[in-house]
Amino acid sequence: MRPPFLAQALVAAAAPASDYEIVAGDLHEEYLRIMHAGGAKVANRWYWAQTVRSIPSLLSYSRSNRSALRQLGVAFTALGVLVAMLVIDTIVQIVFAGMDQGSDWVWFCAHWTVAVAFGAILARLVKTDSLRVTFFAALFLVLCFVIPAVAGHPGSQATLAGWIVLWGAIPAMCIGAGLYQVIRHRIDTAR
Amino acid sequence: MAKGEYLGEFEHIVLLIVLRLGDGAYGAMIRAEIERVTGRSPAIGAVHATLERLERKRLVSSWIGEPTAERGGKAKRHFKVEADGVLALKHARQTLERLHKGVSLRDATA
Repeated sequence: MRPPFLAQALVAAAAPASDYEIVAGDLHEEYLRIMHAGGAKVANRWYWAQTVRSIPSLLSYSRSNRSALRQLGVAFTALGVLVAMLVIDTIVQIVFAGMDQGSDWVWFCAHWTVAVAFGAILARLVKTDSLRVTFFAALFLVLCFVIPAVAGHPGSQATLAGWIVLWGAIPAMCIGAGLYQVIRHRIDTAR
Repeated sequence: MAKGEYLGEFEHIVLLIVLRLGDGAYGAMIRAEIERVTGRSPAIGAVHATLERLERKRLVSSWIGEPTAERGGKAKRHFKVEADGVLALKHARQTLERLHKGVSLRDATA
């Protein structure tokens, strides 16, 4: 009997690369104990609850002593991906401006699909600690728009729909990174 | 003890639990013992994040054990309390004792 696959993949995405095996092993050990005592349903529910509650803590620490050069490399990679995402997103916006848009949701989904795709690309490029890098990159992007707006910089005030798209980019990019991890985890375990 | 080296409540609990369990305590064991003793059910991620913070403060040290079948072939990280950790616990207890001195909880209204 194995723990829920998607929950395992989320742990793999959120945990620091150096600690993934340790955290997953601890969860697996307790999962088997709970399953023998209370059955698979109880154990699966426990595993999911632990996963969801653990994600913020797992994202908050790192054991790796990455060199400054490596950190700089990751930062530049993230910046490059964000710039590329903004370029593609602007193209999407231009295409939508020339069309009869219909529902706002179509517009939202188009932008968020771009964010999901670029979240996956960023996860692919940074390889280790991908979900945390994607989360902080998306947060950085949002703050780049929020700070000038809060400071009252002319031209920085967006519409409500614009803000929804912007804040939605954080979960969308994380979903992209998570999906990439799920696919990679599935391929790795199949080997 | 320098400022910033004081123990937070959860750090205090985790450090005491590692000391109770002795050398070789590991994540799942620590989490289960916290649940048994305090009735709180912490997330395993919170336990590991706290242990990492304690290790950075040099209050505990860790080493990687062998992978075992009951853990899906995954290794454990074992922990032990260092001398500075024991000192931090002593300091925390003295502080609490000083705070409690002269305070009667029996007379205090809820």
